[in-house]
Amino acid sequence: MNKKVVSVLMAGALCSTMLVGCGGKKAASNNSGNAGNKAATTKKTELKYDGEIKVWVADNAVDFTKDEIQKFQDKNSGLKNAKFTVEPVGEGDAASNMITDVEAGADVFTFAQDQTARLVSAGALEEVEAGNAAQLKKDNDEGAAKAGTVGKKMYAYPITADNTYFMYYDKSVVTDPTDLDKILADCKAANKKFYFAVDNGWYQTAFFFGAGCKLTYDTDDKGNFTKCNIDYASDKGLAALKAMATMAGSGAWANGADASKATDVAAIVDGTWDSATVKQLFGDNYACAKLPQFTGGDGKKYQMSGFSGYKLLGVKPQEDADKLAVCDALAAYLSSGDVQIDRFKALGWGPSNLEARKDDAVTKDAAMMAVFEQMKLDQTQGQYPGDYWTTAEGLGGDIVQGNITASTSDDDLMKTLQTFQDTCKSYAK
Amino acid sequence: MAKNKNRKSSASFKENIAEIGTTFKEGDLKTRLSFIIMGIGPVMRGQYVKGFAYLLSEILFFWYFFGFGLQYLSKFGTLGNVETHTENRLIVYGDNSFLILLYGLLTIVIIAAFIYIWRMNVRENYLEEQKLKKGLKLEKNSKVLGSLLDENFDKTLLTLPVLGIFVFTVLPIIFMICVAFTNYDKQHQSPAHLFTWVGLKNFKSLFSFGGNGLGATFGKVLIWTLVWAFFATLTSYFLGILVALLINKKGIKFKKLWRTILVMTIAVPQFVSLLYVSKLFTDTGIINGWLLKLHWITSPIPFWTNPTLAKVMIILINIWVGIPYMMLIATGILMNIPADLYESAKIDGANGWQMFKSITLPYMLFVTGPFLLTQFTGNLNNFNVIYLLTQGGPKSMKMAGNAGETDLLVTWLYKMTVNDTNYKMAAVIGIMVFIVTAVTSLIVYNALPSVKDEEGFQ
Amino acid sequence: MSAKRKFTNIVSYIVLILISIIWLFPFFGILMTSFRSYKDYGGLTNYVIPKHFSLDNYKFLFSNKTKFLQWYGNTLIIAIFVTLLQTLVVVCVAYILSRMRFKLRNLLMRTWLILGMFPGFLTMICMYFLLKQFGLTQSGAIPGLILVYVASSGMGYYVCKGFFDTIPKSLDEAAIIDGATRSQVMFKVILPLSKPIIIYTALTAFMAPWCDYIFASYIAFGHESSYNVAVAMTRWVWTNDYQGYFTRFCAGGVLIAVPVTLLFMALQRYYVEGVTGGAVKG
Repeated sequence: MNKKVVSVLMAGALCSTMLVGCGGKKAASNNSGNAGNKAATTKKTELKYDGEIKVWVADNAVDFTKDEIQKFQDKNSGLKNAKFTVEPVGEGDAASNMITDVEAGADVFTFAQDQTARLVSAGALEEVEAGNAAQLKKDNDEGAAKAGTVGKKMYAYPITADNTYFMYYDKSVVTDPTDLDKILADCKAANKKFYFAVDNGWYQTAFFFGAGCKLTYDTDDKGNFTKCNIDYASDKGLAALKAMATMAGSGAWANGADASKATDVAAIVDGTWDSATVKQLFGDNYACAKLPQFTGGDGKKYQMSGFSGYKLLGVKPQEDADKLAVCDALAAYLSSGDVQIDRFKALGWGPSNLEARKDDAVTKDAAMMAVFEQMKLDQTQGQYPGDYWTTAEGLGGDIVQGNITASTSDDDLMKTLQTFQDTCKSYAK
Repeated sequence: MAKNKNRKSSASFKENIAEIGTTFKEGDLKTRLSFIIMGIGPVMRGQYVKGFAYLLSEILFFWYFFGFGLQYLSKFGTLGNVETHTENRLIVYGDNSFLILLYGLLTIVIIAAFIYIWRMNVRENYLEEQKLKKGLKLEKNSKVLGSLLDENFDKTLLTLPVLGIFVFTVLPIIFMICVAFTNYDKQHQSPAHLFTWVGLKNFKSLFSFGGNGLGATFGKVLIWTLVWAFFATLTSYFLGILVALLINKKGIKFKKLWRTILVMTIAVPQFVSLLYVSKLFTDTGIINGWLLKLHWITSPIPFWTNPTLAKVMIILINIWVGIPYMMLIATGILMNIPADLYESAKIDGANGWQMFKSITLPYMLFVTGPFLLTQFTGNLNNFNVIYLLTQGGPKSMKMAGNAGETDLLVTWLYKMTVNDTNYKMAAVIGIMVFIVTAVTSLIVYNALPSVKDEEGFQ
Repeated sequence: MSAKRKFTNIVSYIVLILISIIWLFPFFGILMTSFRSYKDYGGLTNYVIPKHFSLDNYKFLFSNKTKFLQWYGNTLIIAIFVTLLQTLVVVCVAYILSRMRFKLRNLLMRTWLILGMFPGFLTMICMYFLLKQFGLTQSGAIPGLILVYVASSGMGYYVCKGFFDTIPKSLDEAAIIDGATRSQVMFKVILPLSKPIIIYTALTAFMAPWCDYIFASYIAFGHESSYNVAVAMTRWVWTNDYQGYFTRFCAGGVLIAVPVTLLFMALQRYYVEGVTGGAVKG
């Protein structure tokens, strides 16, 4: 009785898997077919490609990128028939999507520099072509070139150098933007808040690095973390952690670095991407400054430091030499000085290109100047394992939750720092 | 019971072999040919529908097996050994461990199914021969087809659903169970890297305590998952009954209006309502804003950043989500309680609370026992409420593996999959969720008073 | 006695009104926020009533600055197809399991019960790659999603089967004696009696796709035109690329909630019948 039907069922299963089978085999034969192609050294030859090239950028950069790609296409007659698709996938999503499925990911995509090692180890980044790499190193600031480098190899094209934080403040409330204690006092008096994202490994370093601590990771060429250099479990780290706990207990502090989610703001440590929102919030009282000084747990004054980072453009490993050449050229074009100036004008993203930085439009912008001033105090952000960020979130979370306060004993604080340090070290093998 | 069954099935296995033997020994040429060319016997006997179905499945099987399945099955033991590498800046992909595992499994299942069909093919020949020997006529082809709408209607209707469940539920679950025994994580991500079998290593690391071990965190998350499911189920259940009683009270007007107001929470998609509610209670949200303006508090109440408070808030907000469902259900059931029970209780001088305690509640518990169980297991895996409200936060150094204080096992699993691409541990957690759900279901189910005979209702 | 009743009634009304306020407040808040003008602020605020009312957010959603209408259409298409196909599958499976006895019936029901105990997100990565092999991710995500929702829907037969179980078997037997086949019994005898449960099944099937922001986002894999509304709108809240989109989120929420709620209210009677029946039968 049920024989027939099971056999029909089987037939169905087989049919459907056959479809899979065909698809799979086709892809496989493609692989071997192109392996023999040795035309990867296409530096000066004309670009020619008719297929599809997919680009991922943040939503607000989609129109800008489309225009620039059009210009790029117009310059290269061989790309007349190439189909460029620009999809709005922000930096964070781009990185995690690329890692989940490289094949389905974009050919050229933007990401934040802290993802470089992770992307390299997931096989989602192609090494920058030698000629381009030399040019990039010459044109951009040193940190920018370093940001795209893993081990000794360069993997990405810098497009911005504004990934740092500084302070926006309300002139009518904050009288002295150079000192944290005074800022907090002013905020308290006006019943407003000073926003600082304690539970974020990126912002946290303002205190730790400011007090003189260090935290970096070494990587090999493949993006594996080999060594962690950290000294948080020290008097310097203690001074920083205590200062954060004191700030948290001041009554004028709020946790957060997202201007659109903040209310009653008098000052916020945030980046250029929020400048429009903040301008709207503060109106005529809008002002920017580098980060203030803080009083460490040991009573000494320290200047806040922090991370400075870059947005980068990456090219996915390709099987087709022509396509790779186009991707290389496109990435080089989109990261060039002129495009960076245009990008600043259109989107307000600060350039990493040294020439572009001298442009009038850039030098006139208050937020941009605060960025460049702050960057002098910052450490260039190298590569950090994803686990670092969650660990740091945990440490900050303990401050936010009140597990760590100004009155916590030094021994307990030291113990926390020691755990933190050991945990960070355990991520490098 | 179980022993009996085992003996029976092993005996039937022997019988099967024996029957195959006798079928071959005593069978005619048509039957013997069918051992190699499936369905040829029935076709030669005029049973075209059955015969060609067998033949087709054999052809499809060999097409699949040699054209596709074999290459994956052969690498199943190692999950591939050709590394991906680059040549002249062009990437040359090697073996894809993921696909080897997936299609290897599929091939194994298909081989098993094929053996089963082959066995049915032998039995079909056997039965046909027996019938013909006895001088009976074989079924007409049209009748074979027609039976698919009558006595074989179950096969017609169930084939597609069963196939769908196999491809999109069973196969993926078997796949993920296998992943729990591999080192598939961000360092071993196909297609750029290979992954391979590692035995029980992942389970050991889940239960490793001290240092960076996940053991302590797993324990915490598990306990919170159970606590949450318990409170979420009970609060919604009892409060839902109370609200239903309140609305159905004699003398209360606008019953439909009250009900409709509550039912809004079911109709509006949760990602809209719960996301809004979560923002209501942030440090800078509306609730804290009001309390500050009223000077009832001087600093914001850390609804979401204090772990204990966050847990309480989640359970409270879940009541907001849960009451309406329970209210609807309770309303329907309450009407079925025989009115004379209450009448006689009243005559005995019972007050409202006593009647609730001794009539309403026992009746409800009896009738909705299984429902309560499904609610509980549903809450063990209640992703939406947790994820939309806190996304598992707040975070703490005390928790390892990216878990937050309010993470359930299932939200932790989700984070491992999406944020960390730590598939091996996600798979282990998934198996743990299954074990927890199965064990609690078994315990509760056997304790239920109303585990009734299913046929009794018909 | 009547004074006491009056008193308890007043208390009951007060409680009911309080409950109504708590239950309706978030919806009121969403509605108000959706009318907040850009002149106020697009992000989170600590007040409910906007300082400036406007339709800015709705205008934005209907403008070509966003693909909201396309996402809305996607979700609607998914919801309609899922409703049709899933109802068909569930009714078929439930009918067979309720009315026919065959060899593998108990095994099937038990296996499905056990499968249901695995968390759904476990298999997400596997589903993604399965669908990708068929070209049903990214630009093919919409048919892919429909396929996934429908493929596994057979396991959700409980409520529907519980309903069929209450229809007396003597009806079937009488029809079969009159020479009807099983399929005729199903279409001519049972289904005409099953309007409430069919509507219930369809309604629950219709509502589910509006809230899927996890799997749908995984399958769309960054391909914007295959997003559904939930995927696109949760990004407005959770991703930092979208500053000041909270009022737009609320406006979009209203646009989703209104039709779904109206439909739900219209069919509420059947829904209540379905959940109650399901709960009692287990």
